[in-house]
Amino acid sequence: MMNYPQVLFQNRKADRIATLEEYRQSGGYEGLSDALSKASHKEVQQVLLDAVLLGRGGAAFPAGRKLMTVADDAPHPRYIVCNADEMEPGTFKDRVLIHADPHMLIEGMIIAGYGAQAEKGIIFIRPEYESAAIILEREIEIAEKAGYLGKNILGSGYSLDIVVHRSAGRYICGEVTAQLNALMGKRANPQQPPPYPTEKGLWERPTVLQNVETLACMPHILRNGPEWFKKLALTETGAGTKIFSVSGRVNSPGCYELPMGVRLSEIIEVHAGGMVEGSEYKACLPGGASTRFLPRDFYDIEMDFDTMRNVGHRLGTGAIMVFDQKTCLVAATLNLVEFFARESCGWCTPCREGLPYIRDLLRRLEEGQGEEEYIPMLQQMSKHLWSSYCAFAPGAVSPVESLITYFEDEVREHISQRKCPFK
Amino acid sequence: MPKIIIDDREIEVPEGTKVIEAAEQLGIMIPRFCYHPALGSVGACRVCAVKFLEGPFKGVQMSCMIDAKDGMIVSTNDEEAVEFRRNIIEWLMLNHPHDCPVCDEGGHCLLQDMTVSGGHGMRRYLGLKRTYRDQYLGPLVQHEMNRCIHCYRCSRFYQEFAGYFDLGVMQSANRTYFGRFKDGILESPFTGNLSDICPTGVYTDRPSRFFGRRWDYQRSPSLCINCSLGCHTTVSARYRQVVRQEARYSEAVNGYFICDRGRHGFHYARTETRPWQALIEGREVPTEGAVRAARERLAEIVSSGGPRSVACLGSGRSSLETQAMLGQLCQKKGWQGPSYFMDKSLTGKAKTAVSRLDPELAVSLRELEGSDAIVVVGADPINEAPMLALAMRQAQRRGGKIAVIDPRPIFLPFDFNHLPVRLDEINLYLSALVKAAVDPELIVDAGKDAIEFYQEAPSLEIVAASLQEKASILAQELRAGQRVVIVCGTQIVRETTPALAADHAKFLRAAKKQAGLFYLLPQANSFGAALLASSEVSFLEIIQGVEKGEIKGLIVAENDPFYSFHDRQRLELAIEKLDLLVVLDCIESTAVKKANVFLPTSTLYEAGGIFINQEGRVQAAPRAYLGGISIAQIGGGDHPPRVYGSDIPGGELRAAYQFLSQIGNGDQIEDDDPTRRSLLRWIADNIPPLAEIPPFDELSENGMRISSSNDTSPQFAVNWQEEKEKGKGSEGPLEIILTDWTFGTEELSSFSPPLMKLERKPYASMHTDDAARLGLGHGDKAKIKLDEGNLEVDVCIEENMASGVVILPRHRLLEWQKIKSLPKFVRFEEIEKVSG
Repeated sequence: MMNYPQVLFQNRKADRIATLEEYRQSGGYEGLSDALSKASHKEVQQVLLDAVLLGRGGAAFPAGRKLMTVADDAPHPRYIVCNADEMEPGTFKDRVLIHADPHMLIEGMIIAGYGAQAEKGIIFIRPEYESAAIILEREIEIAEKAGYLGKNILGSGYSLDIVVHRSAGRYICGEVTAQLNALMGKRANPQQPPPYPTEKGLWERPTVLQNVETLACMPHILRNGPEWFKKLALTETGAGTKIFSVSGRVNSPGCYELPMGVRLSEIIEVHAGGMVEGSEYKACLPGGASTRFLPRDFYDIEMDFDTMRNVGHRLGTGAIMVFDQKTCLVAATLNLVEFFARESCGWCTPCREGLPYIRDLLRRLEEGQGEEEYIPMLQQMSKHLWSSYCAFAPGAVSPVESLITYFEDEVREHISQRKCPFK
Repeated sequence: MPKIIIDDREIEVPEGTKVIEAAEQLGIMIPRFCYHPALGSVGACRVCAVKFLEGPFKGVQMSCMIDAKDGMIVSTNDEEAVEFRRNIIEWLMLNHPHDCPVCDEGGHCLLQDMTVSGGHGMRRYLGLKRTYRDQYLGPLVQHEMNRCIHCYRCSRFYQEFAGYFDLGVMQSANRTYFGRFKDGILESPFTGNLSDICPTGVYTDRPSRFFGRRWDYQRSPSLCINCSLGCHTTVSARYRQVVRQEARYSEAVNGYFICDRGRHGFHYARTETRPWQALIEGREVPTEGAVRAARERLAEIVSSGGPRSVACLGSGRSSLETQAMLGQLCQKKGWQGPSYFMDKSLTGKAKTAVSRLDPELAVSLRELEGSDAIVVVGADPINEAPMLALAMRQAQRRGGKIAVIDPRPIFLPFDFNHLPVRLDEINLYLSALVKAAVDPELIVDAGKDAIEFYQEAPSLEIVAASLQEKASILAQELRAGQRVVIVCGTQIVRETTPALAADHAKFLRAAKKQAGLFYLLPQANSFGAALLASSEVSFLEIIQGVEKGEIKGLIVAENDPFYSFHDRQRLELAIEKLDLLVVLDCIESTAVKKANVFLPTSTLYEAGGIFINQEGRVQAAPRAYLGGISIAQIGGGDHPPRVYGSDIPGGELRAAYQFLSQIGNGDQIEDDDPTRRSLLRWIADNIPPLAEIPPFDELSENGMRISSSNDTSPQFAVNWQEEKEKGKGSEGPLEIILTDWTFGTEELSSFSPPLMKLERKPYASMHTDDAARLGLGHGDKAKIKLDEGNLEVDVCIEENMASGVVILPRHRLLEWQKIKSLPKFVRFEEIEKVSG
């Protein structure tokens, strides 16, 4: 087993969370106190930009750049929102992170809040993560008592409050603008920019939304510097570490913090304990349910936002679902589309009506009632789903499109045999 | 201004124009469901996709979401875009019922049009259709959720545009549901618009169900005459009856929408109790006989008592033609009148509103939507003229601030500030607000009168302590506003208020604001009535004349004083004393029953007519259909209908002005036009503001706004001392204020069966403090001692109204007509709780 530096998981324990004391002993809140005492909020933005910290929620937008889009003269109060609505199927990194070291997230939020000059922090958390929500509420109080939150943090004059908000629980709430609508008590429909949330977000005020993992990286960047962060990655284009949530037909499914750019083959074979007995790698979804199937040809790919994008794939959330040769990918895709059809917010036609249609076609294929013409129909509808209102539908059809691109033969077998060949 | 090329044709459009709108200007109707000009773009339906070939956007994009920019080249018929749109239609049709032949929207359905024009004919989807449970939404709107294509127009109109929240979106994904939390009558008085804007048959007009198809109807542009705003409508008739009324777009008045009172207010024209037959002393007679009888008996009265022994009463619900014919008759014959209002105070207020409506100040309903600040004095928009509330809501959505100075418990579907004060305080409060809103430095060159007016006007000190904070916020908001409009009612306010509203608007203009003035009048054509009314004779003076024996004959054209005069007992005695009562009307009324000679008149739908709305906009409605008793009524369930002859049954009806002309001039009317033409000439010659009035059919779509202001009317002539004196006492008796309700008080719409279902049981509103003093609780029954007897009425206790007043609706189910004179005050001792 190769030993990579553990940054986000440095205090991870098998049975309990790290306490504030333990977090501090590992250097926690040093980055914050340095930033508050020595750096302007502009400098904080610059450091994060220099570190090439890309959004870990899947969109890979530079976190420093996002903070910079909050205009100097923008009105107050401003908001920093932590997206802990981890609902991407296969993804469980945020939950593990919060259960390992909640103060890392809290410190990250304060840093990002300082970078945006925000006075209100909100952690938007999915309702199934009740235990994580309780941990956060408790630790926020502890952080407040220790002077890291509330008025005049560490004597710097900067103030921030953080509240934990439990979502009513829909996948679409993970989408930035839908999440903000949900927070304002509206329906969780996405809102096409402009205006961008950093200009007019919650209640028309600048709002910066970041993923849990992105925020958790920030204290380390401030403490150790952008160069250190960049060097954590194995690739030239990557920066930092990445938490991979590995599931499926591997011996040791779980959450692994590995350098950005680590090879997929290494993740599966070394860290996740290899494929289970009798299973061979067939494909994986590399970044959650809304990414494309990654077939055998890409088995050695470096897991980094850029390298994945260059071959037409997405790193997404880094949630790797591994499928073996005995798994029917039509059935797997049907399962995923089932989820997406259910989770559509219902705003635009392609997503609301197109996904159930695709689900119907996939179900017929899987049940042996498929027709030849379904393949072009699936292709055409998937293409049209790219012209829907938000990024939900393009994500939802990624498995469908890649199923046909890489596994058309398997689909055709369903049609020619009038049954699922795996049954 | 950006230039854009769409389908090889170039067009220059203002900055901010969406591509879908630019295309429309070129005559290219890009398909749309969610986009609606009044509701804006939201990009939900995706059916307006076009291909962007050049410019900042590329590929298939939604034309409703992208502003036209220089250099854009767009193709609406590019194969990729057409393919995409076809797929959208297919998706929308997955769950849509295939029952167009029996759907109430069939034939005027946008989805049907788009499906047919997009060529989607074959169904590929093999899955089951989604089904929903429908809801009962009240008597006006039928709900059929299975037809929904989720364009969100309904919830956007209902919540965002109109400001009501009991209908909206529920559930998600492809179970998304539009409706109420649970079945029930919709709370908004604008619900009919749901049927107009729904692109399929989810919301359809409930009262006209199962009656016909769009193409069966005789459809005609018309006007709403259920309040003074004059909204534009489209009327549909079939089998000799009006079936449905919809909103008709008007750039100047109502935009795309109308209120439910207007939409369903037409039933008076088709009700079974409508009088179709001329009567003499209650006996049915041929029309010509009745006309002759009226003429002869009037001649007898004149020969014995002289021309002043005949008087004429018209109304604000008649066309200008009828109103003018009364004027012409009185002028020619020397008869008394014409009067169109119940008392001199109302005549005076209406005349003031007309004469003080400076064209510089007058704003249309649509212009009102653009104001930064609106001060409403003595008007209750939702109850008196609902569309005014909708227009004010648009101003408020754009950041406008709204203040209401009115004693009544005002509700409006948006945030506003209410100063609930007594009628005697309204003038003072208006003045104090306006004074505080003006920068004194800006009026130094405003002229001597305005400066004096400013100096003498009361300041915010007169505001009651409990309202001080609110008033100072309002003053600040007014001060910040540039486009400030004063909306002034004419019904409940004191006689001095309309002139004062004009003074203040003028004064704001002198203080460098773009001030506007917007009056509400009691009825659809009160403007015309005010232009024509004699200032000496109101109906009250006519009654006095009858009592003195000076007036022996009375002609009442389209008015029912039994509905609107405040002293029923006195009215009855006077009517008994008359030698001759001639009534012309199209509705069943007490006056019709009491008439010696009755002549049935045709309605606006059957005759057409000119109406002048409250902003002086002369508008015309053509005849919608020929008239006659409806086939349903004639048939009475039998088949074939047992009416013989080749004429239209009930077809002898004429417009009131034609009957009047026959009575007065002895004309034989064969054709409509000569009478109308000579009448219009008389109008042009005798009413200076209408001198330029074009022939009926040459009036433009938006009518013609006339200038009626009269420079000789006194301005800035307020006796502040007197006003302050009046505004003082608050411990006095309670003033009875008679008021309108959205449903149940307006004369014509009260014949509408669907609207009757929405009427509330009449009640008296009272302030918490007054009710406490009287020992009355909410829902108690109170007995109010009026001059001519007691009135028993339920009590509704309200916090947001003035104390010292009792608000009574002029509801047809409430016998309020027991008042000797107005204004009417009652002492606390005269109100008591009725036990049990």
